[in-house]
Amino acid sequence: MSLLESLTSGQNLVLALVYGGIYGLLAVGIVLVYRGSRVLNFAQGEVGTVGLFVAYFLITKQGLPWWVGALGAIATAVAIGLLFERFVVRTMVSATRLSVAVATVGLLLFLLAVEFRFAGESPRTVRGPIDGNGLTLGGVVVSPTQILSLVVTIAVGLGLTLLLRKTDFGLGVLAAADDPTAVRLVGVRLSRVSAFTWGAGAAISALAVLLIEPTIGVFTPGFASELFVKGLAAALVGGLTSLTGAFAGGLIVGLVEIQVGSLTLTSTVPGIPTLSIFALILAVLLIRPAGLFGRAVASA
Amino acid sequence: MSALSRLPRLMRVLLLMGVLAAVPPLLTRVAPSLFSGLEANIVGTGTYLATAALALNILMGYAGQISLGHFALLGVGAFATGVMTSPTRLALPYLLAVPVAAVLGGLVALVIGLPALRLRGLYLAIATIGFSYAMEQSVFRVKGLSGGSGGIDVPRPIAGSFTFLKTADYVAILLVLLVAVWALDVNLTRSRLGRAFQAIRADEAVASSFGIDVARYKLLAFVLSGAVAGVAGAMYGGLVGTVSASAFGYQFSLLLVVLVVVGGLGSRLGVVIAAYVFAVMPRLFVDIFGEGIRGWDLIIGAALLMVAVRNHPGGVAEALRERKDKRTARRAQAAGLTDDPNPATPALPQMPRPASRAESTPLQPGQPVLRVSGLTVRFGGLVAVNEADLVVPRGQIVGLIGPNGAGKTTMFNAISGLVRPTEGRIELLGRDVTADPGHRRAAAGMGRTFQNIGLAKDLSVTENLLLAQHSVAEYSGWEALMSVRRAPRVERELRERAREAVVALGFERYADTPVRQLSHGQQRIVELGAVLVTAPELVMLDEPSAGMSPGAAENLAVRLRDIRDQLGRTVLLIEHNIPLVLDVCDTLTVLSAGRVIAAGDVDEVARQAEVVSAYLGEAVPA
Repeated sequence: MSLLESLTSGQNLVLALVYGGIYGLLAVGIVLVYRGSRVLNFAQGEVGTVGLFVAYFLITKQGLPWWVGALGAIATAVAIGLLFERFVVRTMVSATRLSVAVATVGLLLFLLAVEFRFAGESPRTVRGPIDGNGLTLGGVVVSPTQILSLVVTIAVGLGLTLLLRKTDFGLGVLAAADDPTAVRLVGVRLSRVSAFTWGAGAAISALAVLLIEPTIGVFTPGFASELFVKGLAAALVGGLTSLTGAFAGGLIVGLVEIQVGSLTLTSTVPGIPTLSIFALILAVLLIRPAGLFGRAVASA
Repeated sequence: MSALSRLPRLMRVLLLMGVLAAVPPLLTRVAPSLFSGLEANIVGTGTYLATAALALNILMGYAGQISLGHFALLGVGAFATGVMTSPTRLALPYLLAVPVAAVLGGLVALVIGLPALRLRGLYLAIATIGFSYAMEQSVFRVKGLSGGSGGIDVPRPIAGSFTFLKTADYVAILLVLLVAVWALDVNLTRSRLGRAFQAIRADEAVASSFGIDVARYKLLAFVLSGAVAGVAGAMYGGLVGTVSASAFGYQFSLLLVVLVVVGGLGSRLGVVIAAYVFAVMPRLFVDIFGEGIRGWDLIIGAALLMVAVRNHPGGVAEALRERKDKRTARRAQAAGLTDDPNPATPALPQMPRPASRAESTPLQPGQPVLRVSGLTVRFGGLVAVNEADLVVPRGQIVGLIGPNGAGKTTMFNAISGLVRPTEGRIELLGRDVTADPGHRRAAAGMGRTFQNIGLAKDLSVTENLLLAQHSVAEYSGWEALMSVRRAPRVERELRERAREAVVALGFERYADTPVRQLSHGQQRIVELGAVLVTAPELVMLDEPSAGMSPGAAENLAVRLRDIRDQLGRTVLLIEHNIPLVLDVCDTLTVLSAGRVIAAGDVDEVARQAEVVSAYLGEAVPA
């Protein structure tokens, strides 16, 4: 495919939007937790995969409606996030952030072990939320799940923005990392803020994983590990602290991955899309370390 | 034991290698039921993981730089070993492949280290995880390089007629390599290299003030760490026989971080214990609970990891240290020793002087030690220092005073090279140093203190005094790592001088106490000693009396005069304690809002009305 064909391909654009939106969602989860606790949560993606296994059980095994499975998945993820926050993160307030990050690696390994023990490695599928062939617009096929995925991405983005910008609690969440004392003074409890970021991050992760699964096809334990790396790249490109930036970063990572992938489909060198994402990370870090949307961090 | 400890160190290391190397092959032949291939494999896994953890520990534990992609460096070493030794490729001997794996690992690590010069913390973490992911997905799958996705064979070595095909025999080689890495690591931590790493971890500005080239040593930490990781990769390759890209996912790099943090950052013994415990745990679970535990063992292991990190964020090393501290405290109590509430506040003694430093750099008549002209420092729109001039003549105590926010510390930072001036010129001993980085100015004879104590606070008093002598410790990195030629002799001299300095400061009983545990006033004294131990031409002190009791501050005046009169040094002093300033200073420069508003003899300046109103207040009789 030539560069022009690839760039103007509607199908590529739709895929880039869908994947980019999912990476954006994962990035938002990463950024929320980072703002709330100054910790990189390595289990961010895998919490969603555990939810996916619950959805599989409810939808594929029990034949329940999709939305029941989705609720089950989200509830499971939120429960894990809240429990971890309450019993690990909150007891480690005075520990170095690296130690807390290592605890999240512990959670990641725990979730993976649970998936392997109870589900095993055989590939599974969860059917999409809506049946049907979807839309065909000028030769571009968009599946119903992909449409829903775009809608949900936008809805989560807008909803979070409203919640964080327009409510006292939301402003407390935004300020928690910068000025904990001020947050306490306006009457927002820091423990609530922390719990909210871990819970919301887990819920968003479960949603993202649920929505991308039909586009990818099948899933096995560790399904989210690659998604997580790309979410991380998206968060970094967006500046690590900015929610808008996280979504924009997701779209950029999605675009780069899909475009490079379609251009190098026949290349004998494997993994060029991954290399290009790494190059993107390096370029952003070296040219604009605060990310495209992050505030410049004052050097103390 | 005493006969053993009298042996030269090299002999002891070789002896340990020989004994460890003999155990697995003998054991598997004498008691095959006790030590079969399975057990040997566990020991081998623990050994290569311990080596990899030691590699990451050099970087994270010593130098404080994070890497979430270290397993990819093991991949570099493993694939390099494959290409070197595989019969279908170069078919070279295994022992030739190990150094090549080390060199390649070091080179690749150097490339990752370059962004680390500008990045820190989370940014570096994400860059390295991205590196690891790209290596696994792309580079390690390139056919010509690694045999494609099928992987590449790494045959075990053959020496003459003896093959190391048996796992127990192969593990003997791994144990020898681990002992070698351990010995190098010991040499590293006892040399100026290891101290420079630790200083960078503690505070880069402080490291630079001791003459440490921060960028160079950061890269060096990456290279050393990468080389050891490459060796671990070569160990791993032969152990598993076939290496393929999927074995180097970023999750494995996270596992290494877990081992280092659980073992305790910077603790050699801790991370090695953590690696072996990790290797043996699955087998232990099965032995204790039976086959039914399979699958559960990983779940329980991960849960234990969370609990362990939660309860002991500092890892095995911290837990061990706490136990030891408790024991010493109990013993001290039993012996009736209590902490002296009023530690020595000695007069500043005759500090020992490094032989390599000339008595005094000769100056042309009338040439000052320091001349600052037209210095301007802007931060964005803010002008912190505005066309300031400053002259510090030899043998004087020059006070730099002014209200809070006048730009005194910014000027200090510009002089010592921490802040880049927007305009102006800085001459040290008649030489223009404006373009020199801070560590070079320190090495040229500029010593300084910091308001928040310029010491590596986790290190002991003695270690800080050793660290402070970085720029006069003249031996190369190789000599340091091998502990040969100049290194042992120079280290002895440094230690002797550090000991003398400890005695001179009156800190004998605190010699091995981490600086963090001392009182603020005590830390100030140690800091002053650290600055003076290399006998710098210019001693720059940033508010030395801050946090001192009135008595100690009085004592400070005596000490400052000692520095000038006994030690023959020149002093530039930032100080808020005006009676002290008026007492000891020869000349004064007054800053207000970034500008020099007065300069000259102390009496003259103190009388100027402008100064009185700007700063001194009416209450101070001039």
